[in-house]
Amino acid sequence: MKSGLIVDDAAVMRIRLRDILESRYDVVGEAGNGDEALKLYDKFRPDFVTLDITMPQLNGLEALGRLIQIHPDAKVVIVSAVGQKKMVFEAIAKGAKDFIIKPFDPQRVIISIDRLFT
Amino acid sequence: MKAEYANVFIRSAVSVFRQELGVALSRKDITRKNAPVPSLPTCIVIGITGAVRGQVVYSMDSHFAYSVSRAMMPNKLPNDLKKLTNSAVSEIANMITGQASIALAGEDKLIHLTPPAVFSGRNMRLDFLAIPTISLSFISEIGSLEVNIAFTEDKGRQ
Repeated sequence: MKSGLIVDDAAVMRIRLRDILESRYDVVGEAGNGDEALKLYDKFRPDFVTLDITMPQLNGLEALGRLIQIHPDAKVVIVSAVGQKKMVFEAIAKGAKDFIIKPFDPQRVIISIDRLFT
Repeated sequence: MKAEYANVFIRSAVSVFRQELGVALSRKDITRKNAPVPSLPTCIVIGITGAVRGQVVYSMDSHFAYSVSRAMMPNKLPNDLKKLTNSAVSEIANMITGQASIALAGEDKLIHLTPPAVFSGRNMRLDFLAIPTISLSFISEIGSLEVNIAFTEDKGRQ
């Protein structure tokens, strides 16, 4: 089973994403900001990361840049309410594999993560 | 401040409530204020920078906030829901503001949001900057929601 790390500052969204993903994936950790995400990525080396953008301390785009710099093969899917076109392009340019805009359909999340491994 | 900002937030609020909570939100009033001071005891403040700058201040009563939490997580027990209420209303405010920011940013602008900050309590005092504000009020089966939009457009920034 592939493993995942959920990164979102909102506890309700971490719970929601865990509930969606746990039937097919092993959720090995949850982080509430970018700094914590980088530490947990080093600790668990998950197969994928769901990453929010608007977070305290280190935001998602900054965390994405640092993560890809250190781990170029990291598979990251952005899950954010701030789906502005320029923001989506920036995230993809920095190495995100997909960009899911909140609110989302649970099936959209499953399809996106499944696609990382096919 | 442009009146069309109101339409963007009305569409976003109605859409997010329907999609995320299954709650029909109806617009009640649009008024103007001198600052985004909330009228109801629980408020969520989101700062905005970039192509537009300012604040969005959401307010509601505690029953409404709890109902949002219950609608987001219908399988959780009441004690868990109480603990997660601030997180739930923060996330709903983030989604509404985020969806509005997509429309306001258009093809080539960037708008950044701060993480939401939640304040509650009848005796709290918060000072807000004097920015011309459009105040939207909504009604629904779970109660009333107020959205105060205090923006200044910055044409030189993206």
